[in-house]
Amino acid sequence: MDDSPTMRRMVAACLRELASVSFEEAGSGLEAIERLALDPANLIILDLNMPDMHGLEVLGFLRKHQALRSTPVIILTTRGDETSRAAAMSAGASVYLTKPFEPQELFEQARKLLSTLEGSPGA
Amino acid sequence: MPDSDAPNSHQFFDQFLADYLVESEEHLTALRQELLALEHFVGKPQIDEALLDELFRRCHTLKGISGMVGLAEAEQVAHRMESYLRVLRQGQLPLSEHGLESLIASVRLLEQIIEARRSNAALPDITSVIAELSRLSQNTDSDHGVAPTAKPPMQRATGQGVRLWRFEFMPSRELVERGINVNTARARLQEIGEIRRSVPLVKAQGQIAFGFVVASSADESVFAGWRDDGLEYAAVDAGSEVTPSDEALLEQQPAAGLPRATSNVVRVDLTRLDDLMSLVGDLVMSRARLENRIKQLRTVLDAPEWRPLQETSSLMERQLRDLRHAVMRVRMVQIGEIFERMRFVIRDLARENRKKVALDVSGQNTEIDKFVVERMMDPLLHLVRNAVSHGLESSEERLRSGKSAEGLIRLRARTAGERVIIEIEDDGRGIDVEKVEQRARERGLIAPGTHIDDDTLLDIITAPTFSTQDKANRESGRGVGLDVVKNSVEELKASISLWTERGRGTRFSIHLPLTLAIADVLLALVEGQTFAVPQAAVQEIIEVEPQAVSVLENNEVISYRGGVLPLVRLAKVFRLAANGGGRSFHVFVIGSGPNAAGLVVDRVIGQREVVVRAASDPLLQVPGISGATEIGDGRVVLILNVEKLLLPAAEYEQRLSG
Repeated sequence: MDDSPTMRRMVAACLRELASVSFEEAGSGLEAIERLALDPANLIILDLNMPDMHGLEVLGFLRKHQALRSTPVIILTTRGDETSRAAAMSAGASVYLTKPFEPQELFEQARKLLSTLEGSPGA
Repeated sequence: MPDSDAPNSHQFFDQFLADYLVESEEHLTALRQELLALEHFVGKPQIDEALLDELFRRCHTLKGISGMVGLAEAEQVAHRMESYLRVLRQGQLPLSEHGLESLIASVRLLEQIIEARRSNAALPDITSVIAELSRLSQNTDSDHGVAPTAKPPMQRATGQGVRLWRFEFMPSRELVERGINVNTARARLQEIGEIRRSVPLVKAQGQIAFGFVVASSADESVFAGWRDDGLEYAAVDAGSEVTPSDEALLEQQPAAGLPRATSNVVRVDLTRLDDLMSLVGDLVMSRARLENRIKQLRTVLDAPEWRPLQETSSLMERQLRDLRHAVMRVRMVQIGEIFERMRFVIRDLARENRKKVALDVSGQNTEIDKFVVERMMDPLLHLVRNAVSHGLESSEERLRSGKSAEGLIRLRARTAGERVIIEIEDDGRGIDVEKVEQRARERGLIAPGTHIDDDTLLDIITAPTFSTQDKANRESGRGVGLDVVKNSVEELKASISLWTERGRGTRFSIHLPLTLAIADVLLALVEGQTFAVPQAAVQEIIEVEPQAVSVLENNEVISYRGGVLPLVRLAKVFRLAANGGGRSFHVFVIGSGPNAAGLVVDRVIGQREVVVRAASDPLLQVPGISGATEIGDGRVVLILNVEKLLLPAAEYEQRLSG
């Protein structure tokens, strides 16, 4: 989820070749949470700056929710500083990538996170 | 993406350049508006937080997407703007005049960078703007601070009659199927008041809901019915016991408004719409052929067999018309966006020229074809610049001539039939006609003895040889480059007119076609040749007996509605062998009042919806012909530009009356 449609399209393009992938997009924090509530995802890619909620608030909410607690979250942000990274990791992010990102790297990280899921029961 | 293709990320993301350009344009437009709003906070101790957040977020988004397409210059500028805005947001520094100017300069630079990327031109230099912005945001270590700062809860005064309500929206698949989701719920709440808080909640069985605190003066009856749509509510009383979910609501920062209803807007590349329009055009053409065939069948088929065919064809025609209108509507954008840009330019120019300028804008909601809008941008900017820099006098001069110190620029738009009229007016000194006339005579632009009216004046000041002479023009109240304006206007098959009065002001009116591709025309025969005349230009069609024509000073006229109507014979204009004499003929009445003239054809043969193919080949550019079209039987027919054709007649008429 990202408030920029261009960015969402770029992310989707990077992940296009993941096996049997389908995308749900959201442009704001509340919208993203609604989508996840109605249709849980295997992987969440989250921007930090969104119009209504900070990405870390979204992440914090997800981590408190029983059903969404273990869904891996990739933070994708322009904030490259260590403080932001540390804050995101301690809030429960699985991977922290900065924009501009390498398509290959996003693809690899997503693939890794999804394959861990497939290996575990009930994913 | 397969491991084998070692990706160059810029190349990979280059495929999103079009998306990038569209989105960045949206951000720039919004940034410009928001900076104008920010101007009110110059020197004030506190700046509207929602506004700063919005500005900040836009710069942030622009930075992100610019980085992705490898436009490092835009990324850097946006980054510096963001840093400065953060300093402002943290309240460490008040906003200075200079700070605002730098932000404005940065937006302008961003615009140039992005434009350069679009046209593959050399990128502008960003060092001075970057240096300025960094200087402004110095003395603060602002690059940290991950989480938004906590804000004091709901301290804003509740105005008279305004109550606080707590809404809770519980999303469900069933609601989503009915088109109701958190975005639409939020939009509804926004309509009845101000959303003070918005926050996700976890309910008893792990269900997710959304809580909103809304300050609203609306009567409960307005939203009572929303309960059926999953929106529960309760009044928040100042003294009531705070429930846990209320507490959750209170902890949160205020919602920063709606993300502009992103979910119901689809962005489409203009070329795709062009394709769609050209498909509709092909359909129109095929139907015309079908209609022709059906007409031919009339002689061989019995009426009961033939009529249903004819009826179906007519039905199809109506449906095609609806389809065309629907496609046209998709291409339409509101002119308000352009006007907003003008606001920005005017403000800048006023400052530069040390003039006081008020802007009066009306008709912002007027819709116009996106293609037309894009091409009108520069000419309009040009006219507005001229109006501020040359049209309006200085405050002192205005006061001396008994006007208010503040000059007025009016931007107006309205729809009239198949055309949109845009007007740019100033209440300045007006054009010095004598000076222009003198200069025009010196340059041999007008014949001796020519009477100078607004139309002639317009022709003179838009002549390329005239308008490049800048000094004289400046003195006479006009800037340079009006020939450019005229060219763009003509390219769009639009027309421009001028009103000016010494000491009172100047107004340019631009008449634009609503859309370019399809037009309703009247087909007429002249000496066996078929011509098409845009229906929008025709006031009336009359049938005239040859003996009703009289000759005045070598020109044919007829009496028409108590006046005289000069005639222009198409056969003569196009030098077609005239042998029709003695029979009655048809006249298209074009224009109204003293400017009306009649276009003589042999016979009007019907009305058609045609696809206009612009005559863009310079060899084919004849004044009086605006394009060509194919009619049902495969013949190509010329479309007349009647305004051009009738110029001589109109001039003649003026001589008569003047």
